Amino acid sequence: MAEESKTPLLDELEKGPWPSFVTDIKMAAKRKPETMDLLNQLELSYEEKIGHWKHGGIVGVMGYGGGVIGRYSDRPDLFPGVKDFHTLRVNMPTGWFYTTKALRTICDIWDKRGSGMTNFHGSTGDIILLGTDTDQLQPLFDDLSEAGFDLGGSGSDLRTPSACCGPARCEWACFDNLQMCYDMTMEYQMELHRPMWPYKFKFKFSGCPNDCVAAVARADMSFIGTWRDDIQVNDDEIAAYAEGGLDIQADVADNCPTKCISYDASSKKIKIDNSNCVRCMHCINVMPKALKPGKERGCTLMAGAKAPILMGARLSSVIVPFVPKEKLEPPYEWFKDFIDRLWEWWDENGKFRERFGELLDRVGMRVFLKAMDMEPIPQMIEAPRTNPFVFWWPEDVETSGKEAK
Amino acid sequence: MPAKTDIGPPYFKDFLPKVILDNYGKWDYHEIVKPGVLMHVGESGDKLWSVRVGGARLICTDRVREYCDIADEFCDGHFRFTSRHNVEFLVADEAKLEPLIKVLTDKGYPIGGTGNGITSIVHTQGWVHCHTPATDASGPVKAVMDELIDYFTGVKTLPAQLRIALACCLNMCGAVHCSDIAILGIHRKPPKPDVNKLPKVCEVPSTISSCPTYAIKPKKLEDGTKSIEINDERCMYCGNCYTMCPAMPLADPEADGIAIWVGGKVSNARSGPKFSKLAIPFLPNNPPRWPEVVDAIKNIVELYAADARKYERVGDWIERIGWETFFDKTGIPFTDMHIDDFDGGAPPPHIAFRTTAQFRF
Amino acid sequence: MATLNLGGKEVEIDEDGFIQDPEVWDEDVAIDLAATEGVDELGEDHWKLVHYLRDYYLKFGIAPMIRKLCKETGFDLKYVYEMFPSGPAKGACKVAGLPKPTGCV
Repeated sequence: MAEESKTPLLDELEKGPWPSFVTDIKMAAKRKPETMDLLNQLELSYEEKIGHWKHGGIVGVMGYGGGVIGRYSDRPDLFPGVKDFHTLRVNMPTGWFYTTKALRTICDIWDKRGSGMTNFHGSTGDIILLGTDTDQLQPLFDDLSEAGFDLGGSGSDLRTPSACCGPARCEWACFDNLQMCYDMTMEYQMELHRPMWPYKFKFKFSGCPNDCVAAVARADMSFIGTWRDDIQVNDDEIAAYAEGGLDIQADVADNCPTKCISYDASSKKIKIDNSNCVRCMHCINVMPKALKPGKERGCTLMAGAKAPILMGARLSSVIVPFVPKEKLEPPYEWFKDFIDRLWEWWDENGKFRERFGELLDRVGMRVFLKAMDMEPIPQMIEAPRTNPFVFWWPEDVETSGKEAK
Repeated sequence: MPAKTDIGPPYFKDFLPKVILDNYGKWDYHEIVKPGVLMHVGESGDKLWSVRVGGARLICTDRVREYCDIADEFCDGHFRFTSRHNVEFLVADEAKLEPLIKVLTDKGYPIGGTGNGITSIVHTQGWVHCHTPATDASGPVKAVMDELIDYFTGVKTLPAQLRIALACCLNMCGAVHCSDIAILGIHRKPPKPDVNKLPKVCEVPSTISSCPTYAIKPKKLEDGTKSIEINDERCMYCGNCYTMCPAMPLADPEADGIAIWVGGKVSNARSGPKFSKLAIPFLPNNPPRWPEVVDAIKNIVELYAADARKYERVGDWIERIGWETFFDKTGIPFTDMHIDDFDGGAPPPHIAFRTTAQFRF
Repeated sequence: MATLNLGGKEVEIDEDGFIQDPEVWDEDVAIDLAATEGVDELGEDHWKLVHYLRDYYLKFGIAPMIRKLCKETGFDLKYVYEMFPSGPAKGACKVAGLPKPTGCV
């Protein structure tokens, strides 16, 4: 007779059409019996509606201050298999492209050193190796290093930079965001592995304004590919879309946020007032065969995004409207100088656990611009201020020098 | 051998298939051939098909090896993952496309996640591995996707893309604060500090300053040791103090649960990026299948599918019809919890910053 | 809670090997804690850093931020990792008997 299941609640999640993580934990547990305690502990959480991991944990590998998340069960008496169950963040290949050979190597190492459970991928983009013992951490890191992999970021350091698939598989990539993401990852290995700042700092590189890595929502420094000349139009393909049944007036022109597209149904041609285009991508998204970003490409640099902790979420905002593509290629001297000065300012002025964007809010954009020797420009704002509480720079207030009576 | 430090990730170009190396930066256009299948065409005329497959984000090495077996058979040993945890099998040889799709279908992998529908839910660890969660992550995601899978596979379509994300606490890992629908684990009771243990295992000043509403105050114990006390009325349960100090636990089986947020987006297409806004302040944790959460999301999705205009994201749709109509049509009760009174309701100072890449030169 | 013999006395430690009562710390405890972090001998600069952390903690009740630590000791971060391979937080703070550093991971 079959043994009665110890995880009746979680077994319910093996039903239904979507792939089940419960099935995967059971598969891993067939080869690694102690991994079954992950499921058993989770079953207790499902019964009691509360988590069963202790607070924090600080473990690591020699030479690094980040990359490993410590985790201990608060019921090691019941679940000895997950008494310690630490996570390694492994820096993914930029753009998440893999060879099966490399992945099999990672699987072999992880089966030897850990639970066999993974996330492909974590929120920031790393390969997550979920659950191993303290004494396996260093040997695991040694094995991964031997195989050509390194750890990602955690704590108050540069978090693992990430990029969308970029020019590898997208016609809209306005700069080589994969190469730049890789190069910046290599350039700032010290900052990535050794926490040194008030808090975390993230780079995310999106090839176009569709922003498939959510850079504007999550990265302290968001690279959004864009262009500054005219959208490229192929009249024949426009006509082909119209003949194929696309309602170009309704679907494209009427959805343009600045109404800079006009469509002539009789000639099946569009006209774009490019001076009024804000490069939102909608028309290009709808008619990818007929329209392309312009030829003068680069990126918009935005800064300051973060999730809600602590004073509420922030989106990145425009810092540099256009950086030409040529400046986004090796040796990146302009950017390195820029980011070094920005980090210096943040590190010098930031409080403990204060993100870059929160510092901007606390001391004011004008202070940042002055420190960076940057000119304020209207693209940085939605609208000018609505309150009269201006902090004038005293030196800008010229008077005759006579004391008021 | 001891690890070499600072070697960085492997060079990504060493992992790209030949068709991508040949057409790198020279793709001409793409089409969605059918749900879950993209065809990219290079200026050279080369074609690349990507078959997108949904999965659990929490997977075992056997699963990864199965992906590898499939990629070895059909994709010359190459595949990739998307930013939303989907798997993409990359096929350069059209003759292998349908056989690949058949194998994936036979093995039960959902193919889809492209175009105007729902793609995989970005989510966190939850009870599986996080130390501050107010709910599980993988469980609710599985339950929701079981219900909404037709919008993934293209059996049903939507006016536009619909991005769902789940975070198991207010840290909101992943772009949960900018998702069409966000599922958020919340606590609703103040921490229960262990005031005697606290001074030994935590930095008292950091614990006090960790509170954004100044609800934590210094208080000396009877023996004179500096510890803290909490003004419970000022606590909005963000959990930041617990992140800083293990002696401030706040998880509670009855009080913890899920809030539903709507109308956020990240892309600049049509309207600029938007934050998600509160729709439902609280739903109970009801494992293993969270029926209240699944029903609430289904209700919003179905109404959006029926009522929004083509290309309108959830946030665009609600802005057009108005929030009062949204609450009216969904039947979601509007409460005082929906009125933002954090920090007195003052707009954040960066409200006037340009938080979109949309502007004129 | 586990205990460990450090500097000739039984001392309570957590899973990560941090002492649970900052008051039991002395230099003998520090020497034994250092051994658990792969530091066999504490030289002059090690002690300078350990005492700096200890004094800062006793004065302010917190660990200093890394930038401050480097500025005030004159050690750059690379050198801190050479002295304490597991880093300033896990290594040096543990040896100095500070509470376990926390924060978002």
